[in-house]
Amino acid sequence: MTDVESKKDLQIDEAEKLLPLVLEIIPGHAAEGLIDIYEPGSYAAKSLRKLCNRTLSKKNLTLEEQLIAEDVARQLEGGKLLCRGQEIEGTALEFAVSEQTEAGEKYLYVPIRAIKPQEGGACPDYD
Amino acid sequence: MWQLLNSDMEFLVESDFIYLPLLLDPEIEKEVQALFRPGKPMENSGHPESKTIIAHQDRQFVKALNIHSVLENYETINAYDYKRQRKEFLRKYQLTREVDGILLDDTLKTILFQVMPYFVRKNRGLQRKKLRDEEILDLVGEKIDIPGKYYKEAKTFRDVEPLKAILKGLENQKPIFKSPGNGLLSAHQLRDWFHEAVHAKILASEHDRLTKALQIRLQFSQAKPEHAATLLYIADTGSMEMDGFGFTRKNAYKGEYFVYKRIGEYVLKDYSARSYLFPDCRVALSTYTPFRPFVMEKYKHPFLLRHKSGQEICMKHFAPPHEFTAENAIRILEEGLTALRYGYDARRRNGYHSLERTWVYIPTIDFEDYRI
Repeated sequence: MTDVESKKDLQIDEAEKLLPLVLEIIPGHAAEGLIDIYEPGSYAAKSLRKLCNRTLSKKNLTLEEQLIAEDVARQLEGGKLLCRGQEIEGTALEFAVSEQTEAGEKYLYVPIRAIKPQEGGACPDYD
Repeated sequence: MWQLLNSDMEFLVESDFIYLPLLLDPEIEKEVQALFRPGKPMENSGHPESKTIIAHQDRQFVKALNIHSVLENYETINAYDYKRQRKEFLRKYQLTREVDGILLDDTLKTILFQVMPYFVRKNRGLQRKKLRDEEILDLVGEKIDIPGKYYKEAKTFRDVEPLKAILKGLENQKPIFKSPGNGLLSAHQLRDWFHEAVHAKILASEHDRLTKALQIRLQFSQAKPEHAATLLYIADTGSMEMDGFGFTRKNAYKGEYFVYKRIGEYVLKDYSARSYLFPDCRVALSTYTPFRPFVMEKYKHPFLLRHKSGQEICMKHFAPPHEFTAENAIRILEEGLTALRYGYDARRRNGYHSLERTWVYIPTIDFEDYRI
């Protein structure tokens, strides 16, 4: 399934709804983003946008996290947050997929991309 | 001349000149006698030290070639042999394929250590840490299967002693070759001497290259053999791909690359919300101007004019930078990827083509085969 197609209704069963949530806000087309972890029960009632805002307003970031946060901020100057090609509306659970760490611990994962639009449509010959 | 050196003749060497045995026939005999007549100057006016004809052990020799002149122009006189000897020398010290030059190449360093880390997953788990250059090489080693021969080459490459010895000799300003000395020499002896002298000349001409090579190899002598092997592999192949990010050396331009990021499959929707599945492609930029994103493969998209390879992506408000830097490269690739993946607006039908067939536009590129 592609990013655009796979979105809501991602088959999270009841038991998985009790897992911690890992939210990653990735700048542009980078491979890695800013990570935030939410304990079970702390995120279910909140909208995904609210969770993103909380992650983006996090303080005491490491140097590497600060650089990622700056990249995210740059993308968001006129850009938007997208999850699997869709604008983030609804709760995290609607976009989450179940994953597990190398140690076998399960968690829910939501990747968000901060994308600055590039509409295209104006090549040098056609300007 | 080379035919003479391959004969079984004897030559006389005098004051850096090669003298050939003089043929004897009555006419030549007369000319020689005239030269030896009292009062007739025998010396060459341009080179008072060397005579035109020399008598040695009852034989007469005539001045033919200046040794230095032959050596100086050897690359032109016998291009094939010069190239062969140079190749042999370079191979002996692992200087083939211009590996050192490539490893010192700032463009490659920028791609490898500054652009690539942005696009590849570096950290395991949830930690986020900036990797040092050595750690990036470790990561490449983990993800790319480096052929065994590069590990073997790395061993030779890291041994700096032979290069140090050569350079020390050169820097002590020793003569690059010893003169063969005056006297009779067989063709075989003269040929061997030429071989040595040409070898020494090649050595001297590669001095700058050896200095650079030693400089980089000294760095590598402290590095892990795996890192040296990884860099040798990259320098040799000129291309690499990891997590969808890659680069490939241009054939036509030395030291220039195409840097790319794979977009992966994605879906665009048309005016009626019907989906079109687009195949993967490589969005690239060249390290040589123009710095604009393009698609490497034969590809079609509303933002590409035709259905062919190497097309620039149609961009809005895009000012191409004037120099290749890591920051610019990342920005250009991102804008290209974003344009293809998120830029098309089904309502406005922006770009050269619309996804669905319309009555308004002249049908050019058709996307019906991508419909899902």
